[in-house]
Amino acid sequence: MNWRVALIALAAVAAVALLTWLLQGGKPPIEQAEVLDLVELPTPTPAPEQRVILLFTGGDGMLHPELRSVPLPDEVHERIRVVMRELLAGPRSAPRLSPLVPYQASLEAVFVDENGNAYVDLTAPPEPLSGSSTELMLAYGVVNSIILNCPEISAVQILFGGHEVETLTGHLDLSRPLVLNKRFIAAS
Amino acid sequence: MRTIQLIFITLALGAGLLPAQDYDRTFEFHFDQQAIVVPKFGPKVEALPVLELLGAEARFSPAAGTYGVVYGEHTIQFAVDHKVLLVDGKLREAREVPSASPGGVAVSLTYLERWLLSPLGFHLEPIPRGYRIVRGSRFADPVSVRPVAADFGTTTTLVLSLNRDAAVEVEETEPGTITIHFDDATPQLDGSVPFRSGRVRSLTSNEQSVLVKLAPGIGLISWHPLETPPRVTIELGPARPTPTPAPARAPVVTSRGPQPVVIDPGHGGDDVGARSPAGVTEKEVTLAVARRLARVLESRGRAVRLTRDGDQGRALTDRTALANRLDATVFISLHANASTVASVAGAETYYMSLDGASDEAAAATADLENRAGLSSEDRSPLDLILWDLAQADVLNESSRLALAVQGRLNARLGLRDRGVKQAPFVVLTGATMPAILVEIGFLSNPSEAERLTAPENQQQLAEAVAAGIEDFLGR
Repeated sequence: MNWRVALIALAAVAAVALLTWLLQGGKPPIEQAEVLDLVELPTPTPAPEQRVILLFTGGDGMLHPELRSVPLPDEVHERIRVVMRELLAGPRSAPRLSPLVPYQASLEAVFVDENGNAYVDLTAPPEPLSGSSTELMLAYGVVNSIILNCPEISAVQILFGGHEVETLTGHLDLSRPLVLNKRFIAAS
Repeated sequence: MRTIQLIFITLALGAGLLPAQDYDRTFEFHFDQQAIVVPKFGPKVEALPVLELLGAEARFSPAAGTYGVVYGEHTIQFAVDHKVLLVDGKLREAREVPSASPGGVAVSLTYLERWLLSPLGFHLEPIPRGYRIVRGSRFADPVSVRPVAADFGTTTTLVLSLNRDAAVEVEETEPGTITIHFDDATPQLDGSVPFRSGRVRSLTSNEQSVLVKLAPGIGLISWHPLETPPRVTIELGPARPTPTPAPARAPVVTSRGPQPVVIDPGHGGDDVGARSPAGVTEKEVTLAVARRLARVLESRGRAVRLTRDGDQGRALTDRTALANRLDATVFISLHANASTVASVAGAETYYMSLDGASDEAAAATADLENRAGLSSEDRSPLDLILWDLAQADVLNESSRLALAVQGRLNARLGLRDRGVKQAPFVVLTGATMPAILVEIGFLSNPSEAERLTAPENQQQLAEAVAAGIEDFLGR
């Protein structure tokens, strides 16, 4: 009895194979790739704690440093992500210092090119921001903090919502990477 | 064996082992003697198997949050749900985004060909059940285009430096628009050098051309393709009258007259700028102070033009272009500030900063010096060097103007002195005369907002700025 069941199953498989082959127009079948490869995840290794310099807005409308010790990886993308995570979390010494980004923002993506330009993509503001001071603090707080903590990076362009912008509040030229600018850091 | 594999995927789809609602179809991709079946995910296809078929290394970087593709000397970085990507180190913006998919990342066929295959030197050709990947980019090899402009008197030289030889044709496709056609090359504008010309409003590129929008009254005079290094020089100047009789139309500038002071009330139209706690907008305050400033200067015999005399929106570059076209003595952009910190107060004055651009600009000038092969009718490289020196002079004069205005604001109004600063502001870019942006106070500060909206204080502000301008012009 079992051999009959096996024979029927084999015949069924053969029929499906023949049908598939005919549907292909009689051409030789093709290789099937492993199309569902799982993403390769790195083995997590704890990064050593290092001091980072983060810049936030002070009561004088200038950038003031706040020092923090955090696990800081060597890999430049991860390093930028750590700096941005700490910046977006806001200052610990509030209310002396205020956040750079006046809305709930997250870092969407980080790109780094071979010339040392970093592109950080932030959540777009939910409504228009205003004031050159707001714009300068946000831009140079982010740009300076990244460059001061990531020696590989020489300039930073900030994208919003996945787009390049000419300007955020109608003043500063954000259409290209900005270099370190210490003029907006308060003299200690 | 191959047949059984195909049966497997067919049965797997049918049995729900692969999500049938996602993988509703498959495509075959053929390359050389190999072929694969790639599931279609909605309107998109899994990208990684296609790249792996070519032998490209494609993997997700959890640190970067991006997918990286390496193929020979080419690199591509792209991310799920992001239009921007890095192709060979250059930031590009696609028209659509990659999506997360069971296999990692899925892209449309258009995205696949334009952004993942073309940069590696391949394109797709349709076959009955899918596509064959063929060597050779359907999109022409990109050519990097770096624009530099120099204004001389009534003419402007626009130099487009190319990173390789490319055949081009330049024509004025319509009044005020110049099209630079590239044969077999996709131009990619390099914006690393800040663009400084009041006669060129914008440059944009598409698949095979660069479009140059000119300020009103400016047209194409001549153009020359040049070699070593490859570049195109385009001469711009006052638009030639059309040969056919045109209906009478008032020119934009009715009279040259004396050189005016151009005052730019910041923002306008839909762009309201900052807003005080009481709801007064920056665009209202800047217009009110600008009108008062104009009256004060006119009462002292100065010619004055406003970039807007009502609640109109104006592009930032148009404001500077107007000042350049009128050959203004000085350009004053008036703004009221806002900070996330309510206590911040005071006035400050900005002039242009070329931060990060100095080296690039110097390099661009050096490039332009390398014009030994030009014919005698072409402009001497010395002119461009002189132009660069002139820009340094404009910056120096701008700093003196800024100091004069800030000094008067401090002396007359007793505002908190936030000083003179430099920043790469869009509205100051390209100005060919001393140009400053004055932040007359913080609307976000409640007490300062009250002062900024009071007519008597607006008049005092206007008189202080006017006194600073007179100090500078009467030096």
